[in-house]
Amino acid sequence: MSTDKEIEVKFRIFRFNPKTDFAPRWQEYNVKVDKSTTVLDALLKIKEEQDPTLTIRYSCRQAVCGSCGMMINDKQMLACFTRVLELNSNIIKVAPLKNYRIVKDLVTDFSELFQKERQVKPYIIRHDFEELLNPTGTYKQTEEELLGYIQFADCIECGMCNSACPVSATDPLYLGPMILNRAYRFISDPRDLGFEQRIEAIDSEHGCWRCHFAASCSTVCPKGVDPAKAIQLLRRQLVKKAVLGISSPKKVELIPMAHVKGKLELPKGWQ
Amino acid sequence: MKESKRMFIHYISGLIILITGFIHLIANNLPSIGTIVHESIFYPVNLIILLSALLYHMLNGVRVILIEVIPGKCAAKAITWIMFLVGIALYIYGLQVFLNLFWPVE
Repeated sequence: MSTDKEIEVKFRIFRFNPKTDFAPRWQEYNVKVDKSTTVLDALLKIKEEQDPTLTIRYSCRQAVCGSCGMMINDKQMLACFTRVLELNSNIIKVAPLKNYRIVKDLVTDFSELFQKERQVKPYIIRHDFEELLNPTGTYKQTEEELLGYIQFADCIECGMCNSACPVSATDPLYLGPMILNRAYRFISDPRDLGFEQRIEAIDSEHGCWRCHFAASCSTVCPKGVDPAKAIQLLRRQLVKKAVLGISSPKKVELIPMAHVKGKLELPKGWQ
Repeated sequence: MKESKRMFIHYISGLIILITGFIHLIANNLPSIGTIVHESIFYPVNLIILLSALLYHMLNGVRVILIEVIPGKCAAKAITWIMFLVGIALYIYGLQVFLNLFWPVE
């Protein structure tokens, strides 16, 4: 279907404003696209030329920010990363991501997701405050240690995995693949010492044990992160440390570096 | 008890069900081995272990489903306690049936 010529494609777009509309509706637009037109380009064209009330969220346009995740022909995709003609369909159905509250039209509310993410403390936790405040060097990591978590660090937090997750659809308290992947990313980091502080959230009734291993999260991930694998590895860590009590203390060597100087101020309330 | 411990026992009980269930099937369907197993203490002991593992595995499975469909921390606690009490009641009943069957009081 690839062609240099422009062809007309019909877009069926989900429209809903919770403040004014009683129920959602589908609105159709005809858009001329060529082989390089992405779904985001087409949506912006509709907004500019046909309907300025259409609401979408986007930012980087290059699959880095994760803002434009939406249901395109019933699958979770990034609008900026999906070419219209590659969908091989004359009718393109565009809807907001499932499992989220709709703000307006194609924009969903991620605030609950980010609120939940705080429970797993998605940052490196260390106890050597003096070194953190007055850094003298850098922490050494081997290639194997880096390979242990680098795949999971590629997450752009687009929330599409949570949208595809069947458990997130039925259990609103379930942490979801995105957050559990974040937890594993930091737990498996050799510099991190915060396993005990994250255990309450990930080892709860709505934590990693609720995953059904449908693996739909890994299928839809635009960055190839594989959150389903992260959840299984998280379970292994929990059984090893929390059930069997097998734990090997993390030791990270500090490499002194002359050029690393300067005093860092702690943010307010961070002690 | 932490969720990881509950789920670890859940997986172990699944394995126990496979093993004890297999022994139970063999004892009841292969006369050559079955008669030897039936006459030994091993048969009722195997049944009691099978009952314990089955009850835990089944009720924990129901608990997991209920926790998923009825969200809320209080609900989760209530569901866990209800399943625990139902499990105890069923275990006592099952044990009493086995005791009457294998070691009847004259």
